[in-house]
Amino acid sequence: MAKVSPVVRTAIVVGVGALALAACGGGGGGSNSTSSGGTPTKGGTIQYLTQSEQFDKVDPQRVYTGEDLAFFNGTIERTLTAYKFSHDAKEGTSVVPDLATDTGRQSDGAKTWEFTLRDGVTFETGAAITCADVKYGVSRTFATDIITGGPTYAISMLDIPDDPKGGSAYKGPYVKTGQDLFDKAVTCSADGKTITFHLKRPVPDFNYTTTLLAFSPVPQAADTGEKYDDHPVASGPYKIQTYNKGKGGKMILVRNDKWSQDSDPYRHAYVDSWDVEFGIDPTVIDQRLIQGAPADQTAISTTLEPQSLPVVFNDPKFASRRTNEFDPYVRYFAINVTKVPNLKHRMAIAAALDREALRTNAGGAYAGDYADGVIKPNMGQDYAPTQMWDGLLGQTIPPTGNVDYAKQLIAESGAPVPTITFDYPNTPTNTKAAAIIVASLAKAGITAKPNPIEPGSYYGVVFDPKKAHELINAGWGPDWPNASTIIPELFTPTGGFNLSQYDDAAYNAKVDAAKIELDRAKQASEWQALNTEAMKNVVVVPTRFGRDQRLPGAKVGNAYLWPAYGSWPYGDMYVKQ
Amino acid sequence: MTAPVDTVAEVAAVPEEIQGRSLSAIAWGRFRHDKVGMVALVVLVILLLCAVFAPLICNLMGVDPLALNDTVLDKENGGVPLGCGLPDSGFFCGISWQHPFGVEPGTGRDLFARVLYGLRISLLIALSATFITTLLGSLFGIVSGYLGGLWDSAIGRLMDIILAFPFLLIILALSGVFTQRLEAMGVPEGNPARITYLILVLSIFGWPYLARIVRGQVLSIREREFVEASIAMGSGTGRILFKEILPNLWAPIMIYATLTLPTYIATEAVLSFLGVGVLPPTPTFGAILADSVNYMSIIPSYLLIPGTILAIVVVTFNLVGDSVRDALDPRAARA
Repeated sequence: MAKVSPVVRTAIVVGVGALALAACGGGGGGSNSTSSGGTPTKGGTIQYLTQSEQFDKVDPQRVYTGEDLAFFNGTIERTLTAYKFSHDAKEGTSVVPDLATDTGRQSDGAKTWEFTLRDGVTFETGAAITCADVKYGVSRTFATDIITGGPTYAISMLDIPDDPKGGSAYKGPYVKTGQDLFDKAVTCSADGKTITFHLKRPVPDFNYTTTLLAFSPVPQAADTGEKYDDHPVASGPYKIQTYNKGKGGKMILVRNDKWSQDSDPYRHAYVDSWDVEFGIDPTVIDQRLIQGAPADQTAISTTLEPQSLPVVFNDPKFASRRTNEFDPYVRYFAINVTKVPNLKHRMAIAAALDREALRTNAGGAYAGDYADGVIKPNMGQDYAPTQMWDGLLGQTIPPTGNVDYAKQLIAESGAPVPTITFDYPNTPTNTKAAAIIVASLAKAGITAKPNPIEPGSYYGVVFDPKKAHELINAGWGPDWPNASTIIPELFTPTGGFNLSQYDDAAYNAKVDAAKIELDRAKQASEWQALNTEAMKNVVVVPTRFGRDQRLPGAKVGNAYLWPAYGSWPYGDMYVKQ
Repeated sequence: MTAPVDTVAEVAAVPEEIQGRSLSAIAWGRFRHDKVGMVALVVLVILLLCAVFAPLICNLMGVDPLALNDTVLDKENGGVPLGCGLPDSGFFCGISWQHPFGVEPGTGRDLFARVLYGLRISLLIALSATFITTLLGSLFGIVSGYLGGLWDSAIGRLMDIILAFPFLLIILALSGVFTQRLEAMGVPEGNPARITYLILVLSIFGWPYLARIVRGQVLSIREREFVEASIAMGSGTGRILFKEILPNLWAPIMIYATLTLPTYIATEAVLSFLGVGVLPPTPTFGAILADSVNYMSIIPSYLLIPGTILAIVVVTFNLVGDSVRDALDPRAARA
């Protein structure tokens, strides 16, 4: 369900791996804690420098990249619940109330969820935010022909029957087909203060789902459909003053004078304005932050380019502000099981790949740790070592690969390995990775063929089962700290990111059972087992638990990596005076 | 050279003429006295030999363009070559006797070998494309100029259409489809098909320029007496086109070819840079440059050495081209 969009920046750094996503218990590893030093003060402007020529999406129901979710949630959009601002892995992924007075009340075995709105919450127009606005916002997700790109959890979770022709029986607020079904699934109290969601199956962590901007309010009168993306109505402490796309373009956010701190204990809104500058060359961005001219001391950007890392990390003058943390993503190669149906062949590919050379190419130690599955250790209880490289596949496979074992597996399979075509986004780093794959598979006698794809259309191509090849470069991060946003998405046919085309009836049944398991500890152990099972079947070859390095301007306060989204904590940042 | 070639050739053919020299001999005589041209030619020949004998040279040096070698990389420092990216790293970090041009960050492949092999691919594509461009351009130019009328209009419009195409856009957009077509037509999959595509596209979009020059020349030559004489003697069109007119066009065609070749080398680099070119792991200039610009600040030699060599190749071809023009057409010589 989770539709993804490649982050341009990350595409260049580590391969289009980084998708779209949100939460994840972050910050596990050796981090140079940055941030603070001093009391936050109000005032100032933060410049957000970016290579993209526009935001992928601004429409709240369509935003789905982690950094953008964090940015808009911290500035212009409020949601029912939100993640606490904290650098700590556990605190930073805990849910706190935002528009709602509490973190939601569940009943009927977690199949009904109820949120009550705070008093005094308003849009930038001054109109009060009511249950109808939240409900209308949620309904937009169902208009899948217009509201594209966003998460579709509302469609999969709300108690609305499926359309026999595909999709939900409710077609969204524009055509209104099945409106009565939606009105039954989402109800408002008489005073317009309380919203109730009726779900088709128990979702014990539905209040994590409601942190997504897809659950933020939209006033029906202001909805311009597809064009709403250009200027959504603000509910947060800032509103859009200008939004000019393209090279040299800017988005300027200024204070929303209808927002009141009394109605929003969550956001601090320290800075006076946000200045997003589009279309700047990434090398220029890094140089500006490294040089630190006065005008750039209040600037931020996201991931550093690989060539900037030695400069930033070998110079002690950056020690107090650079960050180097685990990001939410796992990098892996999906093996298309319809094209490589023989398990021994898939095992041979996993055994032959030189993961150490791939990691060195991606930036060595900065690129992350070797992965043993698709669930990352910073996911907490859902993670358990799969032993993938320590015997799960029959023999120990060191990071440099086990060529003899790969050859043995091919011999045992009794059939020649098909030619492995490797799909990857055409960037210099990925081009070198392709050479490493060709060379390491060749050592085991497997023929590999690189297939570079234009980065902008990469996921469009590999999502098409007719166009995807045997081996596919990918990366995934969870939407919130529950592997229910990983395992079902990656390894079941109803998942939104099943690049492996994996469809195993027994496995699907176990996933469905785990999804509705209400005992969180038991659910965690089920995810662990399912992760291990997928690795045993070599549905993917995980390569790295990714890391992310950043350098904020010297005068930006609270510039820490927020584990909720693996992003800056936009709603918590301030300018040091 | 007012005398048409045929006359000169006939004169040269007369045995008792001691001073009789062919056009090419005269041109070579002039070329030899052009110091810049000669230096450029020598450099060019050396580069060509290096490209042709790249496997031999790499064997002697003990380097390989494809061999991954992570022992020369600093894995704790972003995977850049050892000694690079540190506060005290100099310009020549990563360079050693074993790796005179340094190594590629991330993979440790030897850059000397990659540049030599990249030169091979670049020259293969540029030379083939120039050959086809010249062939097509001369043929269409002569036909269009001599026959005139409907032929001229048809070819003229065709050239207009081709020149009106946004060349770079088309080449990028069609690469996938056309490469597959070529593979379906029996061109070996992968690099052979991609190289064929590049050669074809460069030629198809390149010939109209030459054809226009040739057409202009033909328009004046066809009015000359020797052509009229040939017509009067009853020669066929084919003979007039290729035996009478074509030999008079060697100068502009040669000049155009020598000047086109370097632009094709540069274009090939641009296309590989944009990702249309040859597949990895085969090295090309474009791929090397695309990767190296990222490391400009910490491994300057990675960009500068391959960049300089590409520049030398292009400049020497241009200089040789200029000198060829001066030699063939002394009236146009620069003051």
